[in-house]
Amino acid sequence: MKPKRLTKAAIFLENQDLRARLDDVEEMLRAIGRGEADALVIENGAGPKVYTIEGDEAEANRFRSDMLAMVSDAIVAVDDNERIIYVNAAAERLYGFPASSALGRKLAEIRTSHWPSPEAREAAVAMFRDRGEWHGDHVHILNDGRIIDIESSSTKLRNGYGGLGGRLSVMRDVSARKKHETQVAISETRYRRLFESAHDGILILNPGTRKIVDANPFMTQMLGYSHAELVGRELFEIGLLKDESASQEMFQKLRATRAVRYDNLPLETRAGQHQDVEVVANLYDESGDPVIQCNIRDITERRRAEEHVKLLMAEVNHRAKNLLAVVQAFAHQTAKYGDPANFTEQLSDRIDGLAAGQDLLVRNHWMGVDVADLVEVQLAHFKDLIGTRVLIDGPPALTLNMAAAQGIGMALHELATNAAKYGALSNRVGRVHIAWRVTDAPKPTFSMSWQESGGPVVAPPTRKGFGQIVIGRMAEASVEGRAEMAFRPSGLSWDLSASVENTLVSTGSRVQMRTGNDAR
Amino acid sequence: MTHDSQTPRVLIVEDEPMLAYALEELVIEAGFQIAGVAGKLDAAIEIIDRGVCDAAILDANLKGVSAGPAAEALKARGVPFIILSGYSQDQRHMDFAGAIHLQKPCRPERLIEARRSILLVP
Repeated sequence: MKPKRLTKAAIFLENQDLRARLDDVEEMLRAIGRGEADALVIENGAGPKVYTIEGDEAEANRFRSDMLAMVSDAIVAVDDNERIIYVNAAAERLYGFPASSALGRKLAEIRTSHWPSPEAREAAVAMFRDRGEWHGDHVHILNDGRIIDIESSSTKLRNGYGGLGGRLSVMRDVSARKKHETQVAISETRYRRLFESAHDGILILNPGTRKIVDANPFMTQMLGYSHAELVGRELFEIGLLKDESASQEMFQKLRATRAVRYDNLPLETRAGQHQDVEVVANLYDESGDPVIQCNIRDITERRRAEEHVKLLMAEVNHRAKNLLAVVQAFAHQTAKYGDPANFTEQLSDRIDGLAAGQDLLVRNHWMGVDVADLVEVQLAHFKDLIGTRVLIDGPPALTLNMAAAQGIGMALHELATNAAKYGALSNRVGRVHIAWRVTDAPKPTFSMSWQESGGPVVAPPTRKGFGQIVIGRMAEASVEGRAEMAFRPSGLSWDLSASVENTLVSTGSRVQMRTGNDAR
Repeated sequence: MTHDSQTPRVLIVEDEPMLAYALEELVIEAGFQIAGVAGKLDAAIEIIDRGVCDAAILDANLKGVSAGPAAEALKARGVPFIILSGYSQDQRHMDFAGAIHLQKPCRPERLIEARRSILLVP
């Protein structure tokens, strides 16, 4: 390049210009030295270029940035176009993206927001638009499929990069807390349901004031007080403990042993009704506060059942002893009237007859015995002859009462034994005809007969044996009726008749007794 | 029933015919007379009210009905009696204070012994 020749005046002007620029540079350097400048703009052919100069302000900025990085909540800033312009370390961890690859990308590329409803989303957008901020919960679905509950706080950026707007969001992962809350809610529902539907009364008490804090519906039913009436009262005021001193005693015991149990307390309901209850009280710690739970169970039914069992046991004992007394009397009579050589056989035979009748009674719940069943059982030894040599003839479904069943049963047993030994069943051709019926005139009468034929010729007995007493006066006494025996040569006959009232169980009363039992 | 004024008359109240019969025999064998045999409460009270018995043997339970009223009637007339029952001591729910209690089954000798003791006969 050939040097340009300059005039003296031009050289003077250039010198002036250079001196002014040198002054500017000197002034700028002084400003940098004083910390008053933080950037240099150098213009050249390519345009202006900015060179930043680090100073106190920049240090403050770096300090702020370091703080944001240390915050455990995720912080993300986006510009007006939803492009990520800042992420802190917590946000990198939350979304699994390093800042280097997140910056400049659209927020929607690294996660999807999920709202409980379109309305919830619209409300959030509107709030942000109107107030410039929004706080709330929503769900983020990440690219790897993870779903996280987010508690978020967003603020509008007024001076973003280059004076543009944008949004700064601080987000916290509350998935663990939400999960816990859900579990607590499920647990609460479950135990609340138990409390509400329990068929035991439950009271929650404050150990300090001894007052009721809560009561379940069964408790209100049991006592006849509403929930509002129970809350705030003491136990002795609702008829559970007899007085204040009993209440104090219970709380003292609870504090000492943490548990109290009363097997049987008389509870008086609001209506004045009496109930027997079992009370179990426990002292618990509820997040640092002591609380007492009382379970109250109505044991009236259980006590009634226990009483019933006791009564039944007494009855069984009474009947067993009576039966033993009968056996004792049998032994005595058998020894007195019978042949000593046959004592054991005769007594065993009679006890068998008693036992058979007993089985029938028990089978029918002591309610009586069907006549046909009784005949069949007492003639069990001759069941092969029934229909041929033993003819049974009578209406079905007639039930003898207990006394009649025992008296007639014993008589049939004696008659059958006698027939087998000496009468119609002692040879190969004799017959026994057993019949019973109910007649109405002149008053309802039950009659039964035993008629033998075809046996050896019968002669009247020379002395009265025990068998005769059984089929005679004992059968009569059992039905308050009449028994007649005839020793005709053609065969023995026995006729018993008594009022229906003293002999049979009416079907109606039988049904009633059964119902009564079932109701217990 | 003829009444020999020298022989004490005994009433038997027992709902079980076999036992009533056995008691009757026992009482007769022991040399007493029978004032009557009743299986039900009203029949027993009727006999007591006739004033024909000098002593009684009472079954505590007559087909589920307590013999208590019969005991009261006997006490009112100053007639000594023996209670015979199948209940054990603790199960007895009637008050037959002053009477001799015998448990079923009862040995005949004990019954007769008790009988003689209440009638003050040798």
